[in-house]
Amino acid sequence: MIAGTLPGGRRIDLVVLGCALGLAALGVLFVASATTGTRFQGLAARQAIWIAVGLCAMVAAILFDYRMLLKFSFAIYCACLLPLVYLLAFGARIANVRSWIRFGQFQFQPAELAKIATALLVAYLFENEDDGRLRTSAIFKLGVIVGLPVLLVFLQPDVGLALTFLPLIFVGLYFGGLPAKGWVAIFLIVAVVAGAGWFLLKDYQKARIGTFLNPDADVLGSGYQVRQSKIAVGSGGFSGKGFRGGTQSQLRFLPVQHTDFILAVIAEEWGFLGVILVLGLFAALFLRALKLAQTARDRGGVFLVLGLTGMMFFSVVINASMMIGLAPTTGIPLPFVSYGGSSVATTFLAIGLILGVQYRRFANA
Amino acid sequence: MLRIREDRQAVARRIEIARVAVGAMLSLLAVAYWTVQIVRGDYYFSLSENNRIRAVKITAPRGYVLDRQGVPLVENEPAYTLHLYRREAKDLDASVAFIVDLLGLNPEAVRSRVERGRRDPEFVPIPIAENLGIEEVAAVQARAAEHPEFAITVSQRRLYKHAGAAAHALGYLSEATPEQIKNSNNAYGVGDWIGQKGVEAAYERLLAGVSGERRVIVDSHGREVAEEARLEATPGQNLFLTLDAKLQDVAEEYFKDKVGSVVALDPRTGEILALVSSPSYDPNWFTRRVTAAEWNGLLENPDRPLQNRAIQNMYSPGSVIKPFLAYGALARGLVDPEWRVFCPGHATFYGREFHCHKKGGHGSVNLRDAIKESCDVYFYTLGQKLGVDRIHEILTGFGFGTPTGVDLAFEKAGLVPSEEWARTKRGARWYPSETISVAIGQGPLLVTSMQIARGLAALLEGGRLPTPHLFYSSQDPRTGAQLRYKAEFVDGPGIAPEKLAIVKNGMWAVVNEPGGTAYGSRAQGIEMGGKTGTAQVVGHDTTIKADADKSRLDTHAWFAGFAPVSDPQIVVVVFVENGGHGNLAAAPLAKALVEARFGTGAPAAAPPVPSVRAAATDRQGVARATRRETP
Repeated sequence: MIAGTLPGGRRIDLVVLGCALGLAALGVLFVASATTGTRFQGLAARQAIWIAVGLCAMVAAILFDYRMLLKFSFAIYCACLLPLVYLLAFGARIANVRSWIRFGQFQFQPAELAKIATALLVAYLFENEDDGRLRTSAIFKLGVIVGLPVLLVFLQPDVGLALTFLPLIFVGLYFGGLPAKGWVAIFLIVAVVAGAGWFLLKDYQKARIGTFLNPDADVLGSGYQVRQSKIAVGSGGFSGKGFRGGTQSQLRFLPVQHTDFILAVIAEEWGFLGVILVLGLFAALFLRALKLAQTARDRGGVFLVLGLTGMMFFSVVINASMMIGLAPTTGIPLPFVSYGGSSVATTFLAIGLILGVQYRRFANA
Repeated sequence: MLRIREDRQAVARRIEIARVAVGAMLSLLAVAYWTVQIVRGDYYFSLSENNRIRAVKITAPRGYVLDRQGVPLVENEPAYTLHLYRREAKDLDASVAFIVDLLGLNPEAVRSRVERGRRDPEFVPIPIAENLGIEEVAAVQARAAEHPEFAITVSQRRLYKHAGAAAHALGYLSEATPEQIKNSNNAYGVGDWIGQKGVEAAYERLLAGVSGERRVIVDSHGREVAEEARLEATPGQNLFLTLDAKLQDVAEEYFKDKVGSVVALDPRTGEILALVSSPSYDPNWFTRRVTAAEWNGLLENPDRPLQNRAIQNMYSPGSVIKPFLAYGALARGLVDPEWRVFCPGHATFYGREFHCHKKGGHGSVNLRDAIKESCDVYFYTLGQKLGVDRIHEILTGFGFGTPTGVDLAFEKAGLVPSEEWARTKRGARWYPSETISVAIGQGPLLVTSMQIARGLAALLEGGRLPTPHLFYSSQDPRTGAQLRYKAEFVDGPGIAPEKLAIVKNGMWAVVNEPGGTAYGSRAQGIEMGGKTGTAQVVGHDTTIKADADKSRLDTHAWFAGFAPVSDPQIVVVVFVENGGHGNLAAAPLAKALVEARFGTGAPAAAPPVPSVRAAATDRQGVARATRRETP
């Protein structure tokens, strides 16, 4: 096992850490490429600061016993949901969304932290659901635990961020052992809710879904983003147009290119090779994290790793699909790579928790 | 403990499945990217190229037009246009208010232009005002920091330096009409300027040059970021005209308050030295976009300023036709130079009485004196001897009845009647009495000034018809290489010198002998010959009675002259519409033109073409728009 040694002779997994750092470095590089010479200039440096913050949080999470966090997960969950309530009641709208809290010149999205807290509480739930079958009460609890923050974030309204909580339900149900007839029931419920939800969506959200289904219908409106992103990705070819050589990104045909569409920048400038590099790093990270989950010393640790990994995986798949029009543009960033302080910092915090579980995998540790 | 172990195994199994699923999912994504980037990569690459590259036309600087000495007649001047870039404007209403206030524009007009511009994509600038003055340009540029939404672009505008002078020779520019665009094979687009009439139209391709193209890289706002490739425009050729600005000025001045035309040409080559049609118009109107009032003024003016009277209007030539008939009769041996006719002031032909312009009669006149005194009775008699078909033969030999081929559009052919013409075209047989009228330049006979000038040149220069032309030479503004016009001729009647001498002597006497009809217009220091004409106003298809009242004030005045008599170097045809008598209204200008032509002393043979290279190089690239800042 490739591992690094921390003081005290215990080892942490270097594959997970290395992949995370590699992706974060790529992120800084391409945020720089996408923002140099624009009004966003200087964001790469900020991103680096946030990575540093995230690394501190990561180290703290490794050193702090995750069992304590699980024990107090309900309190943490409540503490993290409070700012979301506060935001809905008093928050200032930034980009028409109430999801940011300002600290001086930095902004933070409390919902990102709420993701971690929710994952902790879900893990704590399954820590005690250990009798080999998934009880209906547990499913109900799972629904409430995840549903509450989803609702709060959905009302901000930040649909993309709200969606990133949902993998926790899937993780709980699947790894908790939901039988086949349970999946059928859930599928039916989801279908009904989705049908009803269509009437609750805002017009622009409906437009995005419509655009996803038929991107050529509205080339200059919401179809524009998808189209320009596809052109950026496709025109990159095998080896790309070279760093800072992407015409789609450097001439700003790409929308929000340093945040949600950063992968399109990489795909344009480094081509298919760049995409393979990114997807390869993620693949190594996820496969390794799942392996680590198997070695966790307790059921809470298993579900914590699975929940955190599941959320990350979901974001990666949706984001990468978005770039080439395989998923609607929902505002889900690419973990580690997209610009966004709260996202990067909490992703490293999640890595810290995963590594903490691995660090304490032996019962005597 | 066992229970938990079993459960761990179940979870471990599910994790194994999840690992496979994760690997498969990411591989599928990789395949999807492969399809987009490798399989369809070329397609998307071309789309990204289309995204970023725009082709921008570089309009070639249009060639100058100069007279034969290099005096500039038409140049280009910078024209400033104010554009509004909507993307830069924070508040459109505030921007409009600002510019209306700064330049004192009409707020309604500006607002309606902005409204119209809203239909275009946002990056297309909206033109707000054209032809700004230099102070206005400075005022806008001084506020550029606070109002980056306004930008000035520079383009080249045609400048006719002497307003209405030689307007009919020069023509004018206007935006290409839909038919012109359709027929141009994509060379012209909407909003492109194209020569209309005059040499601007005749030598459009030479003057216009070949436009170039810039391939520029633009950002998603359509703003120019960099230039990728540049194909320079080939500037238009400078065009030297055969016109002599000095003679042109004299003629323009004379026609300031008259209606009519002047053609002066070199009989040896057909080079047009002066060409005036009055009333005139200012070609600059069209490049500044004519206002409705100006346009209606031009169209409703009964004197039709847009028509070139020297080639488009046909008139009865009156007595200026007499020398041609006299020579024709001599050359055919029908009359002897000393054959005499007694003029009592009137004569009877085919049962009708025809009057001479001199009531008391000229007495006994021979051919020379008949020309000198313009004796109508002599020519009535001569006409009777010739008959209409021979008259037709003589006059068509001198080019009447066919367009001269001058390098100007819309030229009329005129009409030389014959018995066949009467039968087939008119549908009424020819009356012999009509021949009597035609013999003094009346009746159905219709000519243009240009035809008289060419015919006279042919008579004086051995019988071949020089094709009148305005093209003297063209010059490439970059290399200075010149292209000279080679004189062209149409075969005409051969001229017998000894017979021509008799006619020329008569025309000399018209001006230089007491009793000649234009004796008052003797030129100083040079011998001019010529023939006066006073034409009655007739309709094209009207046969007029020879005894019509000749003292009517609305007769047209003609004079066709040449100088020097011994070696003609200039032919002048002056026509004054409703001018009265040719000797009083037309001949004085011919005298002035001849004096201007030779007045300075030795006749200039082939004047050297001065170089306009310096002027040409400094206007290259001026047409570039002022560069806009890109953030």
